[in-house]
Amino acid sequence: MKKSPQVNEVNEFLETASDFEDPLEVIRESLSNSYDADASEVSFEIRSQPNGSDIIIEDDGTGMDRTTLETFFDLGNSQKTDSIGYKGHGTKIFYKSDRIVVETVRDGTALRATMDKPWEKLNDRVLPEYEVTEETTDLDRGTRIHIQGFKSGQGFDPTSLTYNKVHHYLKWKTIAGSTAHYFDAEDHEMEIHVELDDEIDDTQPELRTTNRLEFPSEQLRPSAGRFPAERMCKIYPPQDLTIDYEGGTTTAQVVGMVGGKAARNELPTFGKHSAQFGVWLAKDFIKVERVNEAISHDNEFLHFFFIANCQELELSANRGKIRNKSSAVYQALVSELDHFMSKVAEDPWFKDYLEQRRIAELDRKAESQLSSVEDRRERVRQRESFEPTNQAEVLLALERSNTTASEPVRAEDFQMGSDINAMIRKDGEVWSSSLHPTLMDHFEAEKPLQSVEKIVCWDLGDRDQLQEIERDGYQGGEVIFDFAENEIIYKNGSTSRVEIIQVADRLQQ
Amino acid sequence: MVRAPTIADAVTSHSSFAVEATAGDARVGQLSFDGTELTTPNLFPVINFYAGGREQSLYGGGIHRTMKEFMTGRGHLDADECREYFDAAMVSVSSLTDYGIPRDTYETYLETPIKERDEFTEFDGLLFVDSGGFKFLQDGELDGSDFEVEIDQAAVFDIQQQLGGDVLVNLDHPIAPDDSYQTRVEKAKKTAQNVAEFLRLSADYKSARYLTVHGYNYSMFDTFLDELTSVLGPHLVRSCFDGIALGSLVPKKDNKGDLITAVSDCKEALADYGFEDLPFHVLGISSSSIPLLIALGVDSFDSSSYIHAAINGKYHTSLTETVPLDDEPFEDCQCQVCSHPELQSWMRGETEYKKNELGAVSMHNLIIQKDAIERIRTRIREDGADGLTEYIESTVGRKRSMRQFAHRIVNESLGGYF
Repeated sequence: MKKSPQVNEVNEFLETASDFEDPLEVIRESLSNSYDADASEVSFEIRSQPNGSDIIIEDDGTGMDRTTLETFFDLGNSQKTDSIGYKGHGTKIFYKSDRIVVETVRDGTALRATMDKPWEKLNDRVLPEYEVTEETTDLDRGTRIHIQGFKSGQGFDPTSLTYNKVHHYLKWKTIAGSTAHYFDAEDHEMEIHVELDDEIDDTQPELRTTNRLEFPSEQLRPSAGRFPAERMCKIYPPQDLTIDYEGGTTTAQVVGMVGGKAARNELPTFGKHSAQFGVWLAKDFIKVERVNEAISHDNEFLHFFFIANCQELELSANRGKIRNKSSAVYQALVSELDHFMSKVAEDPWFKDYLEQRRIAELDRKAESQLSSVEDRRERVRQRESFEPTNQAEVLLALERSNTTASEPVRAEDFQMGSDINAMIRKDGEVWSSSLHPTLMDHFEAEKPLQSVEKIVCWDLGDRDQLQEIERDGYQGGEVIFDFAENEIIYKNGSTSRVEIIQVADRLQQ
Repeated sequence: MVRAPTIADAVTSHSSFAVEATAGDARVGQLSFDGTELTTPNLFPVINFYAGGREQSLYGGGIHRTMKEFMTGRGHLDADECREYFDAAMVSVSSLTDYGIPRDTYETYLETPIKERDEFTEFDGLLFVDSGGFKFLQDGELDGSDFEVEIDQAAVFDIQQQLGGDVLVNLDHPIAPDDSYQTRVEKAKKTAQNVAEFLRLSADYKSARYLTVHGYNYSMFDTFLDELTSVLGPHLVRSCFDGIALGSLVPKKDNKGDLITAVSDCKEALADYGFEDLPFHVLGISSSSIPLLIALGVDSFDSSSYIHAAINGKYHTSLTETVPLDDEPFEDCQCQVCSHPELQSWMRGETEYKKNELGAVSMHNLIIQKDAIERIRTRIREDGADGLTEYIESTVGRKRSMRQFAHRIVNESLGGYF
C-alpha cells in the first residue's frame, strides 16, 4: 500500500513566517510583488505601535483577482513562474501580525480580504482563515495592504529604523537596488516612497527613490586636495559573462564600479563600507551574498562594487543565502567572476587610482613629518642644554665630550639592539660596552652584567630605582653601585667590575 | 689593389623586413634574407646540426639526430610535411663541442656550410647562428676532446661563416641579474668593441647581421646603447644591422613580470635609438611566453624547450599546457607525429632507442608550438588587436599563475579590456 507523507500545515506556516524577522523584509517582499504586478509607483508607511508596527503598502499595479489573492495567502502556491516571488513564501511574512487587510482592484473589481490574529492563531496551532468580500470601486487597478501589529524579531524593532537605514536596505537588499535596467530593455521603472512615523525618524518627510541602482558619476582623474583619489570613480559597463559548467552553459550579468570613499558615499551606505562593498552575487537582480574571494587578496575589496546576476542561483526561503554553492554552476560562476575581477584589478585606471591614494598618503605623511620637524626645531631652539633621549644621541654626546674631557673615549662601533651595543676605545684598549641614555636603562632592558666591561650613559637616571636593584639583587647576583668610583661590583659566583662612564660629567669637565 | 673592408662597408643591408599586419604592438611580417623568406612572428627551434656523429648519422646528437631526420625526410615523415616546422633553425657556435669531439671531426664539420651539405639539402629554412656568448663568457674557449679553440670575435665570426649562417650575431657579453652597474657597463663596452670588430669582419660577407642587446629595464638598455654609440658613432649604430637580438633573459624566463618589463623597455629604448623598424628577436625564450612576447612586438624566438619538455616527460597539448607523456594522450592530437602509427608507438616507448621516443615527442611539441604561432599570426591578420586579445585571454589568460601578465599585456599593448 502506498502512503503519502503528511504535512502539518500550521507548522509549515509558522516555520516559514519565522524565517522573517525584520520589518524591512516586508518592504522587500512587497516591492518585488509590486514590480511583478507592473506597478509604476509603490508607497510604504511604517508606524510604531505599542503592540508591533503598522505597515501600509500601496501600489498601482495590476491588482489581484480571487485566485491571485488565494496564492497571496497560500503557502508555496505561487502562480508566478519566472518572476521574483515564484516560491510563494514571501508574503507569509505578513502572518507575523495581529491583522492583515488586503484591498485590491483588478479590472474594476475590488476585493477586500481580512485575516484576524494570524500570528496568535498559528502559535495556538490553529490555521488562520481570511474572509474575502467583493465591492465595486471607481479605481481601475492597485493594491493596498495594511498589516497591523507586525511582530519584529529581537533586535529588529521598527524604532531602530532611520531613513538612511531604510534607503541602504532598499538599495542593497531589494529590487530597489536592481541592476536589471543595465541589461533588460523590458525592465520598467517603479517609483518608491517610504514614510516613517515621526517617532521613528523625523529628519525628512519621506524617502523617494526608484527600483534602479544608479552608480555615482564617473570621475577618472584625481581631485585637488589632500585626498585626491577620494572621489575618483570608474564605472565598468554591463557585460554578459558566459559560464560554462559541467552540464550546461549560462550567463551572468555583471556591472559595477570602483571608487574612493567619497564616491562610494554617494550611494546610500550605512555603517562600515567593508560590510557593503565587494562583489555581490544576485538573483532577479537583487543582491544576495558577497563573494569577495573573487577579488585578489592584494586588493581591498571595499573599493569595488560589482553585482553579478545569475538566474541559476538557488536561494533560501528568505532569500538571504545561496543554497546551491556546491553545484557545478556556482563553482563555475565564481571562477569566471574571479577571472573577470582579475581584469578589473589589472586595469591601468585602477592601478593609477591606487597609486594616487599611495602618493597622497605619502604627501600627508611628509606633511605631518614637516610639522613634527618644525616642532623639533622649536624644541632645539628653546632648550638650554643638550640632553640625549636615545642611544644615538648618547653616542653623539660621547663624541662631543672628547673636546672637553681630559681623556678620550671613542665609540668604535655600534650595533643597535645588541646587549653589547658598542665597542668603546679607552686607555688604548677596546671594551665591550652597553650604551644607554641612563644607567637605569641597562637594568630595565635586563641586560647582563657579566659580559659588559663598561656602561656608557648620559647620566645615572633614577637613583632610587638603582638603590632598589642594589637591595633586591640582579639576575641572581648581588649588585653594589660605587658611584664615587664610577663602578658597579657584581657578584654572581665570581665578581666582576663594570666601569660607568657618565657622558654628562665628561661634558662638564 | 683590393682595399680591405672597413666598418663603413657594413652599411649594406642583406635583408628586408616588411610588416604586413599589426595588432597593437604585435606585428606580422615577412623577412627576406638573400632569397630565404620567413613569416614572422616565428620560432626558431634550436638544433645541433653537428653533434659528434658523421654523415651517415646526420652528424649525430640523439634527439637532435631524430629531429634532423624529420627535417630531411629520413624519418617516418616526409620532408615536405615538416618543411613549415623547419622554416628556420637556430644553431650556436658554442654547441659545436658539446659532444666532446676531436679536432679532425671539428675541422670536418666546418669544411662545408650546413645548407650546402647533401645531407641537409631538404633544409631550406633560415639558419640563425648564435655566437654562444653566454657560454663563452664562462669558458672563453671551445673545448674539444683533444683540442681547444681560443674564442674571440674573429674566431666566432669565422665559425659562423663556415657554418653558413643566414643571420649572424656578434659575440656578446651577456649580463646577469645580480651584476653591478660597473660590471654591466664593462660588459657593454666589451660587447660594443666586439660589435665594431664584427662589422669590420662581416663587411663583405653576404649574411644578415643582428645586434645583441642586453638589459632588464629602459635605463640599462639606454646605457648599453649609449656605450655602443660611443664606440661606433650614431650613424653606424643605426645603419649596419638587419635586426636586433635581445639576450640575457634566460635567468628571467620564469619571472614573467620582469620578462615583460625587459622586452617592452627594450622596445622603447630601441625606438628612441631609431631601431623600431628592425626585426626583433628574443634569445632563448619560448613556450608560454610566446603569445605575450608577440603582443609586445617580438618577431622571432629561439628555444630548445620543445626538446627539454620531451626529456622531462612532458607532451605539449598547447603552447601553455603540457601533460605527462605517461598519460599517452596521443589519440586527441591530429598532428603529423601523433597520427603516424609508428611514431605513436615510439612515443609509447616501443622503440629500441630513447632518442626515437623523445625525438618523436620533441617533434610533436615543436609542431604544437609552431602551429600555435601560425594561429596567432592568423588572428593578427584577420582580427587585429581584438583577435590577439581574445587569443591571449583564452590561453595564457586562463592560467591562474599567468593571468595577471596576460592582463598587463592586453592593457599595455592591445588597448585594454575596459
